[in-house]
Amino acid sequence: MTALPTEKIDAVIVGSGAAGSHFAARLAQAGKRVAILEAGPARENKDLVSSMLWARRLKGGVAPVLETGKDTVGYGFNSGHGVGGSSMHHYGVWPRLHANDFRVKTLYGRGRDWPMAYADLRPYYDRVQKECGIAGDQRMESSQPPGAPYPMPRVPISEQGRIVGHGFEALGMKVSPLPLAVTTRAFKGRPPCIWDGWCDAGCPIGALANAQTVHLPQARVAGATLHPETEVVRILTDTSGQRAVGVEAVTKDGQRVKVMADVVVLAAFTIQNPRLLLASATPQHPNGLANSSGALGRFITTHGAAPIFGLHEKETTPGFGALGGQLLNQEHYDDKNAHAEQGAFGSYQWMIAHAIKPNGLLGIAPSRPDLRGKALSDFMQRATRHIITMTGVVEEEALAENRVTLSPRKDALGVPLATVAHTSSKASVALWDAAVAVGLKVFKAAGASEAWHTNRAPMHIMGGTVMGKSPADSVTNSYGQAHDLPNLFIGGAGLFPTAGGVNPTFTLHALAARSVEYLLANWDSAVG
Amino acid sequence: MSAHPTRREVLKAGGVGLLTFTLGGSLVKLSPAQAQAAGVPLAVLSQEEANTLAALGERLVPGSREAGVVAFVDHQLAASPADCMLMIQYLGVDPPFTPFYREGLAALDAAAQARHKLPFAKLEDAPAEALIDALAEGKVDGWTGPPPPFFYFVVRNDACDVVYGTVKGFAALGVPYAAHIMPPSEWGEPS
Repeated sequence: MTALPTEKIDAVIVGSGAAGSHFAARLAQAGKRVAILEAGPARENKDLVSSMLWARRLKGGVAPVLETGKDTVGYGFNSGHGVGGSSMHHYGVWPRLHANDFRVKTLYGRGRDWPMAYADLRPYYDRVQKECGIAGDQRMESSQPPGAPYPMPRVPISEQGRIVGHGFEALGMKVSPLPLAVTTRAFKGRPPCIWDGWCDAGCPIGALANAQTVHLPQARVAGATLHPETEVVRILTDTSGQRAVGVEAVTKDGQRVKVMADVVVLAAFTIQNPRLLLASATPQHPNGLANSSGALGRFITTHGAAPIFGLHEKETTPGFGALGGQLLNQEHYDDKNAHAEQGAFGSYQWMIAHAIKPNGLLGIAPSRPDLRGKALSDFMQRATRHIITMTGVVEEEALAENRVTLSPRKDALGVPLATVAHTSSKASVALWDAAVAVGLKVFKAAGASEAWHTNRAPMHIMGGTVMGKSPADSVTNSYGQAHDLPNLFIGGAGLFPTAGGVNPTFTLHALAARSVEYLLANWDSAVG
Repeated sequence: MSAHPTRREVLKAGGVGLLTFTLGGSLVKLSPAQAQAAGVPLAVLSQEEANTLAALGERLVPGSREAGVVAFVDHQLAASPADCMLMIQYLGVDPPFTPFYREGLAALDAAAQARHKLPFAKLEDAPAEALIDALAEGKVDGWTGPPPPFFYFVVRNDACDVVYGTVKGFAALGVPYAAHIMPPSEWGEPS
């Protein structure tokens, strides 16, 4: 294992997932001395075992998270455990946010605005897309905001995709190929995907764009060091309280060490970022670092997953393809009041025709929890050949009371655990109900002999370290730079002021690309 | 990573191994089904709890007793949290998970005793199924364990995992497993 730096370096990065690895690659390539500290274990391709059981070792983080509220956030499923974080096993659905997602407060008088417009982020979406590779068809995807053409051809469409696509078309709705950060041809040394549907277990061949495949190798080549099983327990500040000076961490063998750096990048996932900042309180920052606004930990959002299932007389080979799906529908996405008469607010999209395995949380068996005994056995025989699936990604409003706080319980290293309280607004639940009603109609139109849905479940976790224009009500500026500590940068979906109705990974990469460019251009003023 | 392995290499790398159990003072490698058949001592659950879990699992998902639902759950409860493969870790339950199972199984047995003066595992079909109906609907009088429908959901998923989530389970369903990397064992530590 590489030794931890003993002298002050340029940047210490907490977390090796999508955002942390992205920062690391760019900073190291610019000649900065960089160390990445990762709480979880090292992961190699051989650890990405094709099994819905073995895949469970890749999730859940190191310290447990305590969940309260009516609609818990699903940390255990939505987080990552090990090098690469949750990027390692994410499903690679990479749509862009739309222009209205950035101006929710201005346009609709509720929620929050982002401190930037779509046009500000567009060049970074384009840049990330070119670097990481997205398969799609811009010509067919009329709902896509303006941007560069996708660098790889669309994902293949199976019988399952054709069937559900016809259901949408029968109701006058359009589908287009799902934009996936998965290779459909050889791409920058990565082989094309073989569509065996094991995405939940991580991708051992490098078809998926994640930290392991894209940014960690770049960071390593440029000289950054990666330190697994090194858990950061505190962010350190100078005596003035004006600057971060490094981090305190505990190594695998229990040694407590300090890694000093000019810049600290916090990219330890949505829940652990505010936890660490709250746990790093000092006399100058009694309510936690970067929390003069009181906004730290607040505005935690998830997407309400709306899983729709059906059985079709045709064989659908549902075990194969990409777990994320094959097709996209973003009907009414650009009008967050499209379902206002049902009391709903927000945007949603459909990810259509998932690869689905017999077991697992997103598998066939739990889709009908009411069945047991022989009825279950019979269903499994039929459904493994004939099931059709899609999932709504349903926006949830950002509420101040949905927040991360510190629990009186501590982990083995003495750091208080995070408690996440989370209850969705009525309008968010109503939007989910409206989406489910549409989804069931689509499946009937597709010729499903029966169609059903499962419960509202949390998908993706965002907010908690939200960015904003004003230091009075947000944690960072639009570059993820903490208002209170100019050499502390935050990466990840925790920056999102509102959730939108699309998957977050592409956007958090675009934000990281923009942040790190800003940091490099303003290094001296940030470091002070 | 410097290079991505080919499909052939990754298939070659993953041998099919077995779990390690202590039997008669020596370490042996057994599949969970074999472990169950060989009467491998339980690490966490009591024999009564194991009987209740096996009986409930079998009624929810036929074949789960033989596939080793007890060995699976018992082994995972004994594993370190980082190696745990139980679905419960996705479901917002604070670890450790043993109290969840212990309290749920005890509550189910208590309900069977209250209704029929028998442990759940000894119930005939009709009373056992009626009690499971009540469990799924959350209508068990005097229940003191985790929320009954949630307990039903968790155990049902565990039973599904052992019956449908393995190479053997896929074969029984007639669907290709098509592994990138074969599991080193069905659900245990890498051998």
